[in-house]
Amino acid sequence: MSEMQSRIAMDDGSSDGPAAPVNRGGDLTQVQLIWRRFRRHRAAMASLVLLGLIVAFAFLGPLVWQWGHTVDSNIPSNAGPSLEHPFGTTKQGNDVFAQTMRGAQQSLKVALTVAVVSTVVGATWGAVAGYYRGRTDAIMMRIADIFLIIPLIVAVASINGAVRGGTTWYAVALIMCLFSWATVARVVRGVVLSLREQEFIEAARAAGARATRIIFRHLLPNAAGPIIVAATLLIAVAVLTEAGLSFIGFGIQPPDISLGKMVEGARTAAFTRPWLFYPPGVLIVLICLTINFIGDGLRDALDPRQTMVRR
Amino acid sequence: MQIRKKMLGAAAIGVSAVLAVSACSPPQDGSSGDAESSVTWIVNQPGGGWNHNAPEGGSVYVIQMLHDILPVTGFWNPEGQWEWNTDLIANTPELIEGDQVSWEYQINPDANWSDGEPIDADDFVWQWKMNSGDGELCSDGCNSRGSTLESLIESVEGSEDGKTVTVTLKEDAQFPGWFTFGVDGLYPAHVAAAEGMDLDTPEGMRESSDFFNANPVTVSGGPYIYEGTPALDGRVVKVANEEYYGEAPGIQEIILEVNTEEGSWVPALTNGEVQGSSPATWSDDVITQLEGQENVDFGIASGGSWEHVDLNVQSDLLSDTALRQGIFTAIDTANIATRTYGEKFPEIEPRTNHVFSTTSEFHEDVLTPTGQGTGDAEAALELLEEAGYELNGDSLESDGEAVPALRLRYTAGHVAREIIAELIQADLAEIGITAEIETTDDLGGTLAEADYDLMIYGWSTTPDFYGSPHQYWHSESGSNFGGYENDEVDELVDAALNSSSPEESAEAANEAATLVAEDAYVLPIVDTPAYFFYDTSFIEGVSDNHAQSRRALWDQTEWAAVE
Amino acid sequence: MLVYTARRLAVAIPVLLAASVLVFLMVDLSGDPLAELRLQQPPPSPEAIADAEARYYLDRSIPERYWLWMTGIGGNGDIGLLQGQFGPSVRGVAFDIGTQLSSSIYVTIRLVTAAVIAALGLAVLSGVVSAMRQYSKLDYTLTFIGFLALAMPTFWLGALIKEGGLWFNQTTGTGFFYTIGANSARVSNMTGWEYFLDSAGHLVLPTITLMLTSFASWSRYQRTSMLEVLNSDYVRLARAKGVPNRVVVRRHALRTALIPLVTVATIGIVAIIEGVVITETIFQWRGLGYFFIEAVKAQDAFAIMSWLMLSGTLVVIANLVADILYGVLDPRIRYE
Repeated sequence: MSEMQSRIAMDDGSSDGPAAPVNRGGDLTQVQLIWRRFRRHRAAMASLVLLGLIVAFAFLGPLVWQWGHTVDSNIPSNAGPSLEHPFGTTKQGNDVFAQTMRGAQQSLKVALTVAVVSTVVGATWGAVAGYYRGRTDAIMMRIADIFLIIPLIVAVASINGAVRGGTTWYAVALIMCLFSWATVARVVRGVVLSLREQEFIEAARAAGARATRIIFRHLLPNAAGPIIVAATLLIAVAVLTEAGLSFIGFGIQPPDISLGKMVEGARTAAFTRPWLFYPPGVLIVLICLTINFIGDGLRDALDPRQTMVRR
Repeated sequence: MQIRKKMLGAAAIGVSAVLAVSACSPPQDGSSGDAESSVTWIVNQPGGGWNHNAPEGGSVYVIQMLHDILPVTGFWNPEGQWEWNTDLIANTPELIEGDQVSWEYQINPDANWSDGEPIDADDFVWQWKMNSGDGELCSDGCNSRGSTLESLIESVEGSEDGKTVTVTLKEDAQFPGWFTFGVDGLYPAHVAAAEGMDLDTPEGMRESSDFFNANPVTVSGGPYIYEGTPALDGRVVKVANEEYYGEAPGIQEIILEVNTEEGSWVPALTNGEVQGSSPATWSDDVITQLEGQENVDFGIASGGSWEHVDLNVQSDLLSDTALRQGIFTAIDTANIATRTYGEKFPEIEPRTNHVFSTTSEFHEDVLTPTGQGTGDAEAALELLEEAGYELNGDSLESDGEAVPALRLRYTAGHVAREIIAELIQADLAEIGITAEIETTDDLGGTLAEADYDLMIYGWSTTPDFYGSPHQYWHSESGSNFGGYENDEVDELVDAALNSSSPEESAEAANEAATLVAEDAYVLPIVDTPAYFFYDTSFIEGVSDNHAQSRRALWDQTEWAAVE
Repeated sequence: MLVYTARRLAVAIPVLLAASVLVFLMVDLSGDPLAELRLQQPPPSPEAIADAEARYYLDRSIPERYWLWMTGIGGNGDIGLLQGQFGPSVRGVAFDIGTQLSSSIYVTIRLVTAAVIAALGLAVLSGVVSAMRQYSKLDYTLTFIGFLALAMPTFWLGALIKEGGLWFNQTTGTGFFYTIGANSARVSNMTGWEYFLDSAGHLVLPTITLMLTSFASWSRYQRTSMLEVLNSDYVRLARAKGVPNRVVVRRHALRTALIPLVTVATIGIVAIIEGVVITETIFQWRGLGYFFIEAVKAQDAFAIMSWLMLSGTLVVIANLVADILYGVLDPRIRYE
């Protein structure tokens, strides 16, 4: 959790300048501009393509692959890699290739859910707190602090026991959301605090716009840059957090599988059965790596000042 | 030994370098004074308390930590036969039948605690009072985890300076395992007395029970003694007890290290940081890694626990014996055994008796005559059809209605049970029964509430089986979770407990098991194998003992450092 | 500033309390800590179970337990945070939470100090080099290494690092690296130098595992802030005045660019403490991380709570120190 905090904060540090006010009529050109700048970031573009392939592997792969991720009595026990089973098989008789696809899918589902839900909740929370300031801000941010203090594993470990019949991917995701929205809230509040003093907000206020309108139509769109980047990085952090939770035994439970669970199960097999050890681990690394590069590219693209430095 | 290498300082690194290249240890001489032999042994879980009679202390880990510190009356050898500890007990105790059953120990006159106090009747009396369950001897049950034998004892009396001890059972009482009194070790009663506790009062006794639970014993009545303060969740250092009245051990120092991370064992072993372990958990991966190591010996055998699937006979559906028989017949235990442990332990066989492993002298196959565990779907369907069920497409129906899905549960994260569950699910699908797998985080609670249709879990097996049938199947037993009731079985399990010899007890136990198998209440699946390993370049003479909680440490005094 | 500090601390107390209530509830929800005891074979007597329930206060209601844990009023004298008692551990009477906690802190501090120093040093070095050679091959390489370190699950990385250490031992034929524990069993017989070697041999591998994530994120930080300073008007002015490049970097740029890192690193220490949980499990150190994992596994409510209060207080203090440092180092910021 605090790891999450520092990783997102890291991003915050390099994009402390808020994006220029969005001209609502010119949305298209703004997006085009960002896209053009993003395309110029070669590592980010390559990452985007690679991540696209991984997502296709995870979500479309199982539709066409001959084996499912569950135990099948036609699958031999503990076989090495072959054409039939490219990553070998487990003791129970699972096809590890199919498991890797399923694992990637579940890990991505967890990560995306965490990113979307905690960004939406966190951004709203942070924007409201930052907009109203004063006592509202203080109370809201202290509530956020409560979730920043509690270690994620305590939360997951405890709720794990209360969830009947083991832990499913959405249970893991929701618990992770509960303890990651506060980080986003903190980042967004910081941005909003400086935005709200700017002229276009004052203009809106003077024109008699209501608070909800100002927050959702003016403040949040203009804080989009840092929010999008934070959300992107959250995906990578969530994939790693899920893996960490699996390691200490609190992640997604069998018969379902995640990349973290697979890596955890094969952590001693690096030399004895490398085909079990490397594929899920490398996949995690690839997902996080590409997402970090995409985040980097987005940051450059969304922050005109940085791009100017580059020229 | 790695440690010693370090202690010689930088110069020694060069010397040991040569040896380490051949993955060899520096030469050791167990007999010479300055070259102390030392072995570090992994214990895979922390202990909870120092009193092995108390619930928190009653784990194999604590018994391993107390091993060869507390004197024992005897022990089970690897074949499951009882042997007396001839260092401590000078005679061969035998049952004296009479109005009341009794027996007598003659304690070795030289047997003293390391502080010079004799090991005598007081220590035996303490052990009895501790577990007697009698409030007049020790308050509030003494925090004992309960013991049938001690609760049947009427008196423990010393004579001839306490070096002769007579144990007398209550009127009409008998117990097949009478000789196991003191098997886990006797505590030094005089230490508690010196702390100011009056062991003749229930309050003082109780205080001493808690005292021995909170504090490691500072004296020793065995071949080793603690050095420094041993930690239940860290490191326990045992060094040879110079005051020991028997033969001195071959290894000067044995260090038990708690290590909960399986993945770190083999790297630490190859790096010379530890020399072996006999873990209570099974791991294919650790064994695979061990297979690739030179200078490592390891062994696998059927261990101290067995897996089984229980049916909840209290549910409306499963109260039908025919359906239960059908379910058990459809489950292929041989396939399960192979897929769970077969790869690393090809000799594995399905278990065919609830009380005895195939290796036991009392074993009788009670399962094969019933056809259960064969995985024969056709036979299962035949049975079911006779009872009015019908397979319609993929679903088993009774009176035109599909049999509802059954909840199959096991402990989350338990690898073997995960496999068993998935295989049972597949087997049951063949006779049209849907099993929905639900894991649990609270096995005890789930069992106690009987919150399952099928439950996969394990029981431990010890050579003193006498109480197990009663515990599993007696209609009044708190551990008869599925709610099985059979008057005939109740009588038989009582008889197993209340007999004068293991043979007699085993006969009743086997009869009870036969009935339970016919009623298809519990299906034994497989004995969980256990493994041990050690570095052959450091030590020799290590063997595993599955009849004891101490496992490979059981004869650690016989180990020798490799020359 | 004193007023500011006092006010921040006063606000932190209700936050800590609220967090403790939440965790207490959740730990209580997570199941029966005596489950294993009840399943023992042969089954423990009802008296023994009742005894354990009373000893660990499991026979009380949740609010009562929380009250007891906080105040100790109505307890057996072994509980009450305000009286300096951490409460009994469900793992058994031989396990004293206070003693364990203090010995764990000592073990963990050693690891954390080493990791923070290593991570800071390397982060500043690589961040500055990256910034000064922006968009060079070196910059790209360092960026990639940083991203790679950020993309690996700690325990996976730890497994690889351990294998690396073993490989070193085997090829060089020394026994320098240890893979488990913080020290060997027999430290009492060692001379100072031997003790140092033993400690160092145990320390290196877990330190590398622990520091990599922080190093990666901090070096990115350092790069960004260094870039910002290098492009600022006053550095340009200094350059325009003809001040030699080396002097500009050392005197003007680096000093200013270190400010954000100081605050980030202070907050980041908290992240390290979490990394400690996994690192200490892999390398079997008996520190705070291990303490926590074992407490969670045993559903040891009072141990988890003590750990939470300790780590929570650390988070609060680290955040406060970061804010104050920021003000001290950057004269533009003043606290009312």
